[in-house]
Amino acid sequence: MSLAKRMTDLDTFLAYSVALEEEAADRHDELADVMDVHNNPEVAGTFRKLAHYSRLHAQEIRDHARGANLPVIAPWDFGWETMEGPETADPGDVNYLMNTAQALKIAMGNERRAHDFYFDISEGSPDEDVRALAGEFAEEEKEHLELLEKWQAKIPESEEEVMFDPDPAHTPE
Amino acid sequence: MEQATAPIPLKPRDFKSAIKPVWCPGCGDFAVLNAITKALAFLELPREDVALITGIGCSSRIAAYTSVYGFHGVHGRALALAGGLKAARPDLTVLVAGGDGDGLSIGGNHFIHACRRNMNMTYIIMDNEVYGMTKGQASPTTAPDWAHGKLTPQGTGIRPFQPAGLALTAGASFIARGFTGDPNGLAKILVEAIRHQGFSFIQVMSPCPTFRPEQMEWKRHVQGFRDEVTDDPAIAAQRIQEDDGMSTGLIFKREYPVFQPGTGTDSGMDSGMDEIEKEFVI
Repeated sequence: MSLAKRMTDLDTFLAYSVALEEEAADRHDELADVMDVHNNPEVAGTFRKLAHYSRLHAQEIRDHARGANLPVIAPWDFGWETMEGPETADPGDVNYLMNTAQALKIAMGNERRAHDFYFDISEGSPDEDVRALAGEFAEEEKEHLELLEKWQAKIPESEEEVMFDPDPAHTPE
Repeated sequence: MEQATAPIPLKPRDFKSAIKPVWCPGCGDFAVLNAITKALAFLELPREDVALITGIGCSSRIAAYTSVYGFHGVHGRALALAGGLKAARPDLTVLVAGGDGDGLSIGGNHFIHACRRNMNMTYIIMDNEVYGMTKGQASPTTAPDWAHGKLTPQGTGIRPFQPAGLALTAGASFIARGFTGDPNGLAKILVEAIRHQGFSFIQVMSPCPTFRPEQMEWKRHVQGFRDEVTDDPAIAAQRIQEDDGMSTGLIFKREYPVFQPGTGTDSGMDSGMDEIEKEFVI
């Protein structure tokens, strides 16, 4: 059964949505820490901002759910169609030499997957209220994607920039 | 009159410390940290009731990145330290972690005896088939033809250990394999391992993006074990031998007597601690 078909009530859908945003925020923070440690403060700042936005979105969803009794779902029981939540960045995609444009490209991929997740539910959930709210969330994710595209258009770096380290970590001593 | 308030459940991030990991971007060990914190949050364990003991190496730094009690120990001696801790404090949930070199080479002897001793603790080997902290030497799980280490430019020519098979032969009562590309699946295995009464061993395939970048392709090859967990060592041995090393899940689980030395006279096993303590009295 697809994830959309399993969204049979609003509380379950909101529990998934909160988890999706919180996991995305935690991953963005984790990537920001990685960039801090590897002396890439600009990209660290980008990931930190992205974490902040994910947290704001999570809070928005929690506000929406106020008074509701959201089910507690074990991490492995979400049954995401990807290994982690759809908005969670793949840690294997980052490099300590990456620039802001490359970080934003990852973020845009996350937003696209989140949009598709909500869109699928807006089409496939058996519950009318869930379909309506998922449609709203899908629109929000689309707006986030457009904001990221505008952000990327304003920065001087290119996502095509070659990452080069004259003294890479894996040089044998 | 004061009203008691229910404690707010801890979230996975509450089990992380404020120290930023120094692991390379893309290192699988991040996922192990996330899986451990998810498992501890799910089990609702108080932080002060958990200890994470580690050896030496990149992965062994993990103790500093959690907010539970931690001990970043001596190379290959994490299990010895953890055994001592568990003997003295059986009430603690004891986790032990390290890399394939730390656990299977320098600490190999401790590993096999920890398996047969069956103390109630969970041992996680983050296996990237290389010594990363020392800049890329072959480890006991490295394939014989890996020729990118400066010390072994032609490869080692030595067949690697099979950690799961070694654990089974040595008498471990819980054996599983996880993958960092599936941190939620790994968290589930960890929960089962922590709940298990006895020595639980998890081999975690944890890619090293710096010295073994080809391991980033593991995510395309990893799959779940086709069969359910068994309590029959012969069946488990056959599965381990037939597997290509890329299957994940619980392999073997069985109840064996748990070793827990007494800590006082009321346990029926006088530890002699009273006598030892007297020697320190001036």
